[in-house]
Amino acid sequence: MTSLRRIGVLALNTYREAVRDKLLYNLLLFAALMIASSILLAQMQIGKDERIYRDVGLGAIAFFGVLIAIFVGINLVYREISTKTVYTMLSKPVRRWEFLLGKYFGLLSLLAVEVALMSACFLGVLVWKGSEFSGGLVTAIAMIYLELALVTAIAMFFSSFTTPYLSAMFTVALWIVGHLLSDLRAFGRYTDIAGLRQMLEALYWTLPNLERLDFKSDASANVPISAARACMAAAYAGLYSLILMSGAVVLFQRRDFR
Amino acid sequence: MSPNAIEARALHKVFRTGFWMRPVEAVKGVDLTVKAGEIFGFIGPNGAGKTTTIKVLTGLVMPTSGEAWLNGLPVSDPSSRAKLGFLPEGTFFHDYLDAREFLDFHGALLGIPRDVRRERIPKLLERVGLAHAADRQIRRYSKGMRQRVGLAQALIGEPDIVILDEPMGGLDPLGRKDVRDLILSLRDEGKTVFFSSHILEDAEVICDQIALILSGEVRKQGYLEELLGQEVVGSELVVEAISESLYHELENRARRAVVQGSRFLFEFDGETDGEKALDRVRESGGRVRSFVPKRKSLEDLLLEGLAEEKKA
Repeated sequence: MTSLRRIGVLALNTYREAVRDKLLYNLLLFAALMIASSILLAQMQIGKDERIYRDVGLGAIAFFGVLIAIFVGINLVYREISTKTVYTMLSKPVRRWEFLLGKYFGLLSLLAVEVALMSACFLGVLVWKGSEFSGGLVTAIAMIYLELALVTAIAMFFSSFTTPYLSAMFTVALWIVGHLLSDLRAFGRYTDIAGLRQMLEALYWTLPNLERLDFKSDASANVPISAARACMAAAYAGLYSLILMSGAVVLFQRRDFR
Repeated sequence: MSPNAIEARALHKVFRTGFWMRPVEAVKGVDLTVKAGEIFGFIGPNGAGKTTTIKVLTGLVMPTSGEAWLNGLPVSDPSSRAKLGFLPEGTFFHDYLDAREFLDFHGALLGIPRDVRRERIPKLLERVGLAHAADRQIRRYSKGMRQRVGLAQALIGEPDIVILDEPMGGLDPLGRKDVRDLILSLRDEGKTVFFSSHILEDAEVICDQIALILSGEVRKQGYLEELLGQEVVGSELVVEAISESLYHELENRARRAVVQGSRFLFEFDGETDGEKALDRVRESGGRVRSFVPKRKSLEDLLLEGLAEEKKA
């Protein structure tokens, strides 16, 4: 049996486990409510209806997507270890990297379905209100998905060697910092504290820069997004996820299941 | 010559625990040789190192040093587990699945084609007595049912080697008997069964070979006849309607005397003392309820081992 098939079997089971988790449906319900609330918010503003539908819709897809990626994702890996269900899987001719990739791709499938559902809800609001669903919005949603893939890889990396609480804390911290890296770098340029500038510069280049994947403002304001910029961002997310997953595999490979 | 089903040489495992990463030696140079087609009991008290050794054999824990093989392949090679069935201790399974989905998932992981799985799963569920609950989520199963579905999972790939970690743990007497029967039937099919247990009676009934592990070291290993011998090491006499003076006479000769209502139980060292006591009861007109010569048991072997360990 090939590794690819085993990864597929594990991914399918991960997906099946996640869709039977009630937390997922609660988060999706809140996401739908938030997207729908843009209609109410728009009524409070004058002349900016379309912008509000887009801002709130894209924001809800990104925010709830990250919540699902972090909390459902971390749980799915850690639960296999803490409830010892991993024993019956890894005592079969399953390689540990296959197990981790199976979990990862299972989560990516779940996130794809979840982003598709929230996007459908968003599209419903736009169609109902007669607003345009532009190509920029499609690009922005695709980039949100890639950001979720990267955040999932961060979560998998941490949960391959630490507890779910610490994994969640580290992942949330990196997600926040990842959206503030340009500000931190700018702050470093104006500071006089010795070494801080170099440290912030180093962080800017090493930590995952999630701003590169943030096309929401441009899409919302109908600013054209170049294909080259989108491709670069996609390559960045792919490469960073690959590095994190490789690190997770190395750490997981050495782990004892006591 | 075909390789041994399971082999371990000088296995060591040191865990690092706590904030200061204090080393704890869980397994200290374990050697094991399990021949194909045998039932092998891995016996020892809780915390002796049974589960850690099993986890090394099943690839869940890396040995600190030493080597182990399944069917001649090193356990570090995942393909050594292609023909392995494993039931871990405790019954921790994907409880959001029903039994059929659970077995299908594990069968698929082993690369068993879908049509074969469809054919095999109902038979396996029938074999472990779960056919009636095939579509029920595992989270709604009792402990015994979880153990059964775990056994079915271990057998889905028609393995050559079956490793069971405390398969009788937490089962009622009927459940234990079912597991014993299943283990015996697996041997009849030519499979090697390696199981750990701290329930010595079960091991004594079904094992060909045993290894006794204490504090991470294998103290004794061999065939039951060799380890326990045929020699009678004691006897147990249960009598009724004896005089008080005879009771005191026998009490003085016996290793242990117990009054059970109108019955008196005496345990003697060796066979001769018991036979003499039996004659005395008959002569005095007392009633003999039972007289059982006792051979050395696994419990005696374990107690001997523990005593030696205490001395050392």
